[in-house]
Amino acid sequence: MNKRPFPKGKRERRALTIAAIILLQALTAMFFVGDVLFDFLAGNDLDVIHSTLELIAALALTAGVALLMFELRDLFHRMAEMDVGLHAARGGMDDLINAFFEDWRLTPSEREIALFILKGVDNEAIARMRGTAQSTVRAQSARIYAKAKVDSRAQLLSIFLEELLSGEEA
Amino acid sequence: MRENENSDCGLSKTRSFAVWDPLVRLIHWSLAFAILLNGAILDDDGKWHEYVGYVALGIVGIRLVWGIIGTRYARFWSFPPNPFAALRHFRYMSGNDKVVHLSHNPLGALMAYNIWATVIFLGVTGYMMGTVRFFGFEWVEELHEVAFGWLIVSIVLHVGGVFFDGWRTGVPLVKAMIGGRKKVPADRQIK
Repeated sequence: MNKRPFPKGKRERRALTIAAIILLQALTAMFFVGDVLFDFLAGNDLDVIHSTLELIAALALTAGVALLMFELRDLFHRMAEMDVGLHAARGGMDDLINAFFEDWRLTPSEREIALFILKGVDNEAIARMRGTAQSTVRAQSARIYAKAKVDSRAQLLSIFLEELLSGEEA
Repeated sequence: MRENENSDCGLSKTRSFAVWDPLVRLIHWSLAFAILLNGAILDDDGKWHEYVGYVALGIVGIRLVWGIIGTRYARFWSFPPNPFAALRHFRYMSGNDKVVHLSHNPLGALMAYNIWATVIFLGVTGYMMGTVRFFGFEWVEELHEVAFGWLIVSIVLHVGGVFFDGWRTGVPLVKAMIGGRKKVPADRQIK
């Protein structure tokens, strides 16, 4: 089974880009501030316009950094929240599956096979993983379908999907 | 909050948490790179050594700001410097209690503060060496070198600690600092 990751790559790339800009921009801001301070302390020939511009640039950069930092923090927290939601959904799905299996009185090996079926593994692969004949797996899945009162893999899956999508009314 | 592993179905063997935000990771690795450059590659008396030193100082400065306004696990209150907690952590390690800390563990926290302080100290003494006022003062240079020695010791301990804790808790910590996620084995408690 190849696992398709949950689509979140775009947000993560965006967060990384913002972080890189924060780092560079903050260093640049420090350079400007340092430069202004150095000129001032060393009593270099102070061109008022020049140093004022430098100071404004430094302030603008610092404001930009601060803004980006807040932006990154919010973005990261939103990503983490989505994670928590996904966790809860996974936990919920786990409980749901267990509840149905319990209800149907599946034997331990039937549970295992039913789970493989839900995950989309075909009979041949299930037989290979369990070290049994394909005919055994077919017979066992037939029993699972009978206990769940469905005719096919698709119907078995739809039981869980329906439960997840149905909302309040049961 | 699901701590129980009731499923014999093996749906979730590890739980993964987005812990380190990208700024924390960039700061960590660029600071490591700056230390490597200045400690092992660049000429100590060169202009580049000075600039890389300022950059390292700047990186730590950014981290300190991020420790106040940053993301949850990057903020100082997630890993307050507490020597007593660090001592207690030693006791935990000898027992069977394998609580996983999502931010730094108390010992790791002390190490993080130690390394940042040492880099700041190196930056300040390095700057002083270049000023007219302290130019030629032996003790400034000596302090700078002692601090560098301490930094090397700290880094060895830090890397050793990372591998030890990763082995002890089963959480791949280096991967977490690259990808940002801590993968925690399902039977571990989380703090």
